Amino acid sequence: MPEPAAALRARALVKQFRRVRAVDGVDLTVDAGERVALLGPNGAGKTTTLMMLLGVITPDEGTVELVGRSLPGQRSEAMESVGFAAGYLPLPERLRVHEFLRLFADLYGIADGRDAVARGLARFRIESLADVMGNELSSGQRTLVGIVKATLHRPQLLVLDEPTASLDPDVAHRVRSGLERSCEEDGTALLVTSHNMQEVERLCARVVFLARGRVVADGPPDQVAARFGRQDLEGVFLHLAEGGVDPISDARAVS
Amino acid sequence: MKSQRVRAIARRQSYVLRRAPQRWFDVIVWPVVDAILFGAIGVYFGQQRGAAAASAAFLLAGIILFHVVFQAEIGLATGFLEETWSRNLLNLMVTPLTELEYGAGVVLFGFGRLAIGVTVVSVVAVALFAFNITTLGIGLVPLVAVLLVVGWAVALVVIGLILRVGQGAEILTWGFIAFLLPMSGIFYPVSALPGALQPIAQALPTTHVFAAARALVAGHPLPWDQVGIAAAGAVVAALLAVWYLTRMLATFRRRGFISRHV
Repeated sequence: MPEPAAALRARALVKQFRRVRAVDGVDLTVDAGERVALLGPNGAGKTTTLMMLLGVITPDEGTVELVGRSLPGQRSEAMESVGFAAGYLPLPERLRVHEFLRLFADLYGIADGRDAVARGLARFRIESLADVMGNELSSGQRTLVGIVKATLHRPQLLVLDEPTASLDPDVAHRVRSGLERSCEEDGTALLVTSHNMQEVERLCARVVFLARGRVVADGPPDQVAARFGRQDLEGVFLHLAEGGVDPISDARAVS
Repeated sequence: MKSQRVRAIARRQSYVLRRAPQRWFDVIVWPVVDAILFGAIGVYFGQQRGAAAASAAFLLAGIILFHVVFQAEIGLATGFLEETWSRNLLNLMVTPLTELEYGAGVVLFGFGRLAIGVTVVSVVAVALFAFNITTLGIGLVPLVAVLLVVGWAVALVVIGLILRVGQGAEILTWGFIAFLLPMSGIFYPVSALPGALQPIAQALPTTHVFAAARALVAGHPLPWDQVGIAAAGAVVAALLAVWYLTRMLATFRRRGFISRHV
């Protein structure tokens, strides 16, 4: 029987960089409208996994299906329904914010780009930034604009890599609120990486922990913490960061 | 291919040129400098006893046509480099934009750049040296077409190298063109080159374009045999460049080189 359409379905992803096996057999499914966090210490394989899921890095083994489209053959069609933003990406220096957003509205094929840009800026309450040059933005403003860019086309799946890294609490709150509103209004599924465990617990109903390129836990935050014998996700994170991997044969026993 | 995406990339490139004064150097300053330099050399040679009176015309026709290949190559290569300089590559790679649409967008904008650069060098040639390139007639069209293809082919190889080895390869954007300048016999026949270099020069499609251009300047009909060799060479160069770029893009994705650009 065919599996029902998911926002994202990856099977047995493997990526080896010379002597380092960055990703080692990752299975990951994100259902429509689901909010999932991909967690793990530095070097766990999170960003490599995200890049493979988005078609930027070719997996050595495994398959990726985004919004019902297979990569790499249907990458362009798939990306019409996928958004991506990363806290570490700058905005091009020589573009104003509205020009940057209009560029991406056109790349996503939005018919009325001007209107989509205005709505996107209003959703995150940053209309005043429309005419500011990209290199004049603070890191928090840049993150907000990056997320507006990623949600302009009301994607079915939104992928965020460290969206609130080094943001002050106020801006981080605006990012979270805007994301929650976007997901609720548009039914967007969310896949997010973060080192802020409190933020993850607020935003996501499910967490997937990676360690040494493998999925070691998958389930609701409280149950994952309980399986590791920790009080919260922070405890699980620290445990994994210190090298205590505790591999779980059936990582998604809890769901 | 979706025209909305192609136009978006062309518009993005136009913002960069408008807001980066240093980019006008390639489009305005070099063409003016080259036209004055080679026009003056031509005039001086023309004043010497025994030298060809039409020296300035030969040199100016050469430099104007050289700017076709130069502007075509620089426009495409620096258009891509702009995405690496501004760390915008990942942003573009996670959109529906295809490689072909991106290339078409940069080339579309490149036509505008090319038109400005070649117009500048041509106008300076007319204004200061009374040389009008358009007097060479319709024969210029196939020559310009071949030079465009060669310029784009060189740019694709440069982009492939940047994908493979990183931004360190950006110097080749100007380096490959600097190699073409003496090797293509822009101002002289291939026989003027040292013997060891002549086979290399003969293998370049640009060499045959400039040989054909000199024939036009001398008042001869367009040598279609030279144009045919040049066109065939340009097609081969373009196919090899596309093959190379495709392989480098696959390597870029396989080895995760995007990490160099974020």
